[in-house]
Amino acid sequence: MSELFVELFSEEIPARLQINARNELKKKIKNFFIDNKIKFNENFNVYSTPNRLVLHVDKIPNEIKLNSEEIKGPNVNAPEIALEGFIRSNNIILEKIFKKKTEKGEFYFFKKESRKIKVSDLLEKNLSEILTNIAWNKSMKWANYELYWGRPLKSILAIFNKKPLNFIFNHINSSNKTFIDKSLEEGMKIFNDFNSYLKFFKQKGILIDQNLRKKTIQNKINEIINKKNLKIEQNSRLIDEIVNIVEKPVVIVCAFDKKFLNVPSEILITTMQSHQKYLPTFDKKNNLTNNFFVVSDIKDTKGFVKLGNERVIEARLSDAEFFWEKNKIQNLIKQVDKLKNVNYFKGLGSYFDKIQRMRKLSSLISDDFLISKDKIEIASSICKVDLMSDLVGEFPELQGIVGGHFAKFQGFDKEVCLAVSEQYLPNGMESKLPKKMYSIALSLSDKLDSLVGFFGINLKPTSSKDPYAIRRMAISLVRLIVENEIKIKLKDLIVYTCSVYKDQGYEFDTKKIQNELSDFIIERLKNYLKEKNIRQDIIESSTYVLGLDNLLKAYKKSLCLNKNIKKETGFETIAAYKRSSNILNAEKKISIESLGFADPGLFKNDYEKKLYKKINDIRKYFLSIGKDENYEESLKILSSIKNEVNDFFDNVIVNDEDIIIKKNRLELLNMLCKTFDNYFNFSKIEA
Amino acid sequence: MVSKIKKKTLSFQDTIFNLQKYWSKKGCIILQPYDLEVGAGTFHPATTLRSLGPKPWKTAYVQPSRRPTDGRYGDNPNRLQHYYQFQVLIKPSPKEIKKMYLNSLSSIGINHEEHDIRFVEDDWESPTLGAAGLGWEVWCDGMEVTQFTYFQQMAGVECKPVSVEITYGLERLCMFIQNKKSVFDLIWNDEGITYKDVFHQSEKEFSAYNFEYANTDNLFKIFEMLEEETKLLVEKKISLPAYDQCLKCSHVFNILDARGVISVAQRAEYIARIRELTKSIGKVWIESQS
Repeated sequence: MSELFVELFSEEIPARLQINARNELKKKIKNFFIDNKIKFNENFNVYSTPNRLVLHVDKIPNEIKLNSEEIKGPNVNAPEIALEGFIRSNNIILEKIFKKKTEKGEFYFFKKESRKIKVSDLLEKNLSEILTNIAWNKSMKWANYELYWGRPLKSILAIFNKKPLNFIFNHINSSNKTFIDKSLEEGMKIFNDFNSYLKFFKQKGILIDQNLRKKTIQNKINEIINKKNLKIEQNSRLIDEIVNIVEKPVVIVCAFDKKFLNVPSEILITTMQSHQKYLPTFDKKNNLTNNFFVVSDIKDTKGFVKLGNERVIEARLSDAEFFWEKNKIQNLIKQVDKLKNVNYFKGLGSYFDKIQRMRKLSSLISDDFLISKDKIEIASSICKVDLMSDLVGEFPELQGIVGGHFAKFQGFDKEVCLAVSEQYLPNGMESKLPKKMYSIALSLSDKLDSLVGFFGINLKPTSSKDPYAIRRMAISLVRLIVENEIKIKLKDLIVYTCSVYKDQGYEFDTKKIQNELSDFIIERLKNYLKEKNIRQDIIESSTYVLGLDNLLKAYKKSLCLNKNIKKETGFETIAAYKRSSNILNAEKKISIESLGFADPGLFKNDYEKKLYKKINDIRKYFLSIGKDENYEESLKILSSIKNEVNDFFDNVIVNDEDIIIKKNRLELLNMLCKTFDNYFNFSKIEA
Repeated sequence: MVSKIKKKTLSFQDTIFNLQKYWSKKGCIILQPYDLEVGAGTFHPATTLRSLGPKPWKTAYVQPSRRPTDGRYGDNPNRLQHYYQFQVLIKPSPKEIKKMYLNSLSSIGINHEEHDIRFVEDDWESPTLGAAGLGWEVWCDGMEVTQFTYFQQMAGVECKPVSVEITYGLERLCMFIQNKKSVFDLIWNDEGITYKDVFHQSEKEFSAYNFEYANTDNLFKIFEMLEEETKLLVEKKISLPAYDQCLKCSHVFNILDARGVISVAQRAEYIARIRELTKSIGKVWIESQS
């Protein structure tokens, strides 16, 4: 049993490309072994540092045996030249050829004997192609070469069974050597096995295994925060990035001047995390502290690294502080007028136009939400002012949040500040969801205005393109409504939004927008329900009748049925419905003018009467429930018809000779189905 | 928090001299700055045009760069509307370019064994040049000091062979070397002249011009005139003068942008117009190279 060990040495490959390359290499190598029926240790690993992509597979046999097989040649009637070609290309002699009949006629064959193949030969033949097939998310060319790689590839080390594998990958010859010094690309050294390679670099403090690097960084950080009584935010994306931009991680504790803690913490955190890849720390009360972690790729023997990083953060934070001090005193109300000069979108006016629309919209919503009209109008008016600030220019990802801080500093109502701060939330499936009514109202009106606007100027997303992230906007709208259990008439709001646009001189086709946007939002609801692992047939049924105005109902009813569908209540409900609807469907061909009710006077037995009574009881239940329907209870009531339905079908023949009796019984079943529609249309549910 | 580390301070001008000497030894032609207003060293025809076509090329030069929107009237310690880049362009990109770069840092007193030098992903795109490249920004102890890019496309044309571009931000680099918090405190020469002595007034006045006084009506007209001129020169197939007019267009656009008179939608349109000019010039240039 042998090991395969390959190292691809390159200039620094970015973190996310490394992760992608590791996965690709792993997949391609695995397929190679499986396709060639070579045994291998399936728990093999691919490692990477910024400069080294390393593959290590062990428990591979040195040879594989190929069974004998009959190789089919040309038809016996084919011209002689075809046979000659067959003999030549297979490198055999004429005597080995025999004829054999098949379904398609008689052909020449020869028998290839079983033989052994060296795995090293197979690898040498195939590695170049395997590497070519690695699909990079992003790749480049360099110098005069034709090769595409994440960053310039400098050398390939390839070992099998302690011996070098020789192959050519574009302009590079593989060997048993690699560079020791990744910076200057110097000091070629020979390696014959993976372990000595690992050991050699470990002695230099270089950890080839990314998981080990992660553990080392985390252990060191934990050690320090425990000692200092601090916390860090669990930010796995940042940690994973840091792990993949160093090869010998050294954790350094740095600090910035405490005076910067007066600047809103989101600004400090964004500066540290996204701009500098530092890890901020928090005290036990979750307040940001002035200590932060830098993961260096070098031991800071002279203190230069700490010093340098502290100077960088100091410069960046003074910049941020300068803007904060300048912007926070600029009166939000007085700046509203200036939004006239800031274009919102071509064809949809300026941001000033947008906030006028949002103001009207949120004001209407405030009636439903029972919140103060004045407050939500103020929030709408000031919510986009921060877009003109230097701070949002510097930190575009903090739009809204920064505005919230300005509002707070200028003494606006607490709920207004929060609404401004949360106006862009949620932003997609995973994002945080606002919970306060003012925030929800502002976010709703922002999203509705955008959706109606973009549909109005016909910039709907296509199946492949969504440059303005309109899908995400609609998904966020759905989440706002269903997760906060908001009861709202979206249809009316869309019509109203159109009329507000119209007041500003934008002529949209209201009917068209209403239909298209309605379908679009329902589609998003379906996706949303799918994400929640709701059965497809339940999703289809719930959204079949329950439209735009009932997103919350559709969501809750789906959730409830999905939960109960395998249980008695769900099962019995569907069984009762199906038994009835099947008969109705079968009789549909004979056209019956439905009256919508059965005539009790025509009942011939108790089973009909009992079923009729039960249906009416259920109808009374649905009439009695108001807005606070308990869907679980509704399902239970529906399923309780089980006995009456069973008795009816066991004892009554719908298909009576008397057409009037028959029709009356069909009316009864129709009543049952219609009653069930109070929950939703079960016809699409698969039993 | 800033401790004192004693070293002989390398002045701003010595930093430039050392880099010039270093890259000169590596076979680069040392050019002088281009004599038009440009936004970055990349706009110098010795990079833009020379990176196109099959002929090998190695050059290094200082390029004053103007970014009107970055002006802060000389009040901000880190922002300037006029600053210097040191630019290296080598075609085709040499195998040992990383080693060459790290050694160039040693030539100005930054030893990569003592500092945390990091190559951080930074893919570059210039919409006005129709250009794109892959590479890094180089961090030294957390501070960005260089842009390192392999050109993949220039003027809308695929680069073949691929050039490598190294752009040092000279002020940043010197602030690092001289341990200064403000760009204006940089020591320019051994006589004690500072960056402030040389440039503070200029920052103040040009910020006022860019943000307040530039005559936008005229500038809009000038843009049109320059654009027309560029197109005419492209027709005549003289690429270098055409490119000059295009650079002027670009600078006029930058001032209009700083004056805040270009809306978001207009912005995209102007950028597209400049890109079209660059592309047509690139074509003429490549034809002249074969």
